[in-house]
Amino acid sequence: MTGKPSKPSSRKYKKDRTTEVKQTVLPLPKSERQRVELFAEISFKIRQSLQLKEILRTIVTEVQQVLQADRVLIYQVLADGTGTPISESVLPAYPAILGMEFPEEVFPTEYQQLYAKGRVRSVADVRDPSAEVADCLLEFVEQFGVKAKLIVPILHSLSVHPPRKSPPKNAIWGLLIAHQCDRPRKWAEFELELMQQLADQISIALAQGELWGQLEEVVAERTAELQAANSSLQQEIIDRKQVEIALRQSEEQLRLITNALPVLIAYVDDRECYQFNNQAYTDWLGKSLTAIHGSSMREVWGEDCYPRMQPHINNALAGNIVTYENEIQLHDGTTRSVSINYIPHIDNDDRISGFFALTSDISDRKAIERMKDEFISVVSHELRTPLTSLHSALKILVTGRLGVLTKDGQQFLEIADENTERLVRLVNSVLDLQRIESGAVTMEKQACTATELMIQAVDTMQAMAQQQEITLVNQPLDIQLWVDADYIVQALTNLISNAIKFSSPGGNVWLIVQRPEQPPTPPPNGRKSTKSKASKVSKSPSLPIEILFQVRDEGQGIPANKLETIFERFQQVDSSDSRKKGGTGLGLTICRKIIEQHGGKIWVDSTLGVGSTFSFTLPVIDN
Amino acid sequence: MHKRLLTIDDEESIQIVIKFGINMVAGWEVLSASGGRMGIDTAQRELPDAILLDVMMPEMDGLAFLRQLRSNPHTRLIPVVLLTANRYLPDKDLLTELGVVEVISKPFLPVNLVRQIDRALLN
Repeated sequence: MTGKPSKPSSRKYKKDRTTEVKQTVLPLPKSERQRVELFAEISFKIRQSLQLKEILRTIVTEVQQVLQADRVLIYQVLADGTGTPISESVLPAYPAILGMEFPEEVFPTEYQQLYAKGRVRSVADVRDPSAEVADCLLEFVEQFGVKAKLIVPILHSLSVHPPRKSPPKNAIWGLLIAHQCDRPRKWAEFELELMQQLADQISIALAQGELWGQLEEVVAERTAELQAANSSLQQEIIDRKQVEIALRQSEEQLRLITNALPVLIAYVDDRECYQFNNQAYTDWLGKSLTAIHGSSMREVWGEDCYPRMQPHINNALAGNIVTYENEIQLHDGTTRSVSINYIPHIDNDDRISGFFALTSDISDRKAIERMKDEFISVVSHELRTPLTSLHSALKILVTGRLGVLTKDGQQFLEIADENTERLVRLVNSVLDLQRIESGAVTMEKQACTATELMIQAVDTMQAMAQQQEITLVNQPLDIQLWVDADYIVQALTNLISNAIKFSSPGGNVWLIVQRPEQPPTPPPNGRKSTKSKASKVSKSPSLPIEILFQVRDEGQGIPANKLETIFERFQQVDSSDSRKKGGTGLGLTICRKIIEQHGGKIWVDSTLGVGSTFSFTLPVIDN
Repeated sequence: MHKRLLTIDDEESIQIVIKFGINMVAGWEVLSASGGRMGIDTAQRELPDAILLDVMMPEMDGLAFLRQLRSNPHTRLIPVVLLTANRYLPDKDLLTELGVVEVISKPFLPVNLVRQIDRALLN
């Protein structure tokens, strides 16, 4: 219902002009009490709803019924001065004007200002000049058949909590209007009062509606926030569930993998209690996983085995990676050789919270090693016996006491003798190495001086040096050592023997010993040398005090690419060296084993064409 | 100084080279026995200045021979030099207790053998 208002069809202004003003005959409440009750009743109906539209409809309906008016409407004044009826109760005989848009002229600004100050307009007869209805307005209202009207302003409520963000520009919100169309009507005081009270109710409803709107806005805002938070939480729950699923799958996979491996895998906490163990524990020890979980290592391994483990456990809990071998007894009574690795677990606080324990069965390897040792032992014994006869017989023949051979015969005899000697050295070296590696040898350490060892080694090698026209330069020092003298002399003679073999006639071989505080002697001619990385010695002050032995030659030197492997078995600078020089290829390996068994290190510095220096360290007796 | 030695070894070739080598180098008299039992008999009968004893022998090994030798008051003071192809030897203290004065590894040279025996006997 927008646009121009339509004229009422059945009522014409001229026709009604003669109609007299007369008192209404409606049964209006007579007493104050009745009026209060009536107002309370209407108020009660109004409060049945919080919806403004519904409240307004209730008001116009109730007012129309109570006043017996032909039309009651609520006209909302808009900010630009125009307006529109937003609620209406009208008798069917009269045109409805709900929703029509009225121009500013209908309700000029001066009228608005008057109403804003609380003006109430009661017009008994719109045509009565004393009513001072402007002609243009008269014409306008008569379009809708209005003969009498009662107008009360609806003002914005001043007390709104919380306060409005921006107060309304216009104090007037709208008008509550009653029309009498069938006749002029003098409006009673009570009717005016009722209209005013209801207008106030509308103001309150408007304020409440505004509050309601604000509340709804806040609720919507909060709801949106809650929904967003809820959505975020839902996503987090989904994410966590996915992570949990992934973790479970990962754990399951880890368990499947660890259970499939034929090794003991465990995580032990810093109280030495198992926090994880794989199926192999059950298979080996005959205890269920749950029985082992949470148990201490002492409980699981028992008093026979645990004491052998304890120092290594302490070592791991001190933050060191530990590898050792042990013998363990399985639930079926069999004994197994195992290799055990402990890897410390350092948590985010840099605290050692436990260690991972890996235990693998090396019984087969040990059995093979024993067989190998036994085989080498038997073979070497079986070789030595005939070699003794052969060697001795050749030596006797070489003396010529059993007759003089021809020149060729003598040459062949010497070939046989030399190669027998080489074979003897090889057999001796193989057996020495095998014994050291198998652990069959225990170094019988005793107090001795470096001087004693060096003199003994030089005495042993003097004949060979003279034969090769090499000068042995011995520079001993009386430093007390705690070593197996026989083995250290063997190491020294091996190194001196090599130095002699690879030196030219007329050269020198030095045997040097240095106290720990002395800087190492520079290599021959002061030239920079290449050092074997594998055996480099750290000079950290935390290491025990060590003495440094050096055997230095002026020989051909060792290429850099051979320095790494020179201490490995059967590794020689030139593969023909073993034949040309009569070496076995095991001497340096044996030296390294001997030095390592004493807790020392061995390495070589060398410069091609200048010479080599073999160095090793030994711990000094702590006074 | 002239000496009489008894060599006990189940390898005949070893016996021959020892006997010839020592005789050739030092001129000492060398008696031979091919096993522990025969060695005990020879030792009791001949009372040599020293015995060169192989460790690994069938029937009676070197250690069994030594125990029996020491149980007889006539032979218990005869110094013994062990000749062995195997370096797996009993504890040094046990060997000393059984009167072993020297251990010589096979193979050996007759010249060195004489020197080693002489030094061991002097000690």
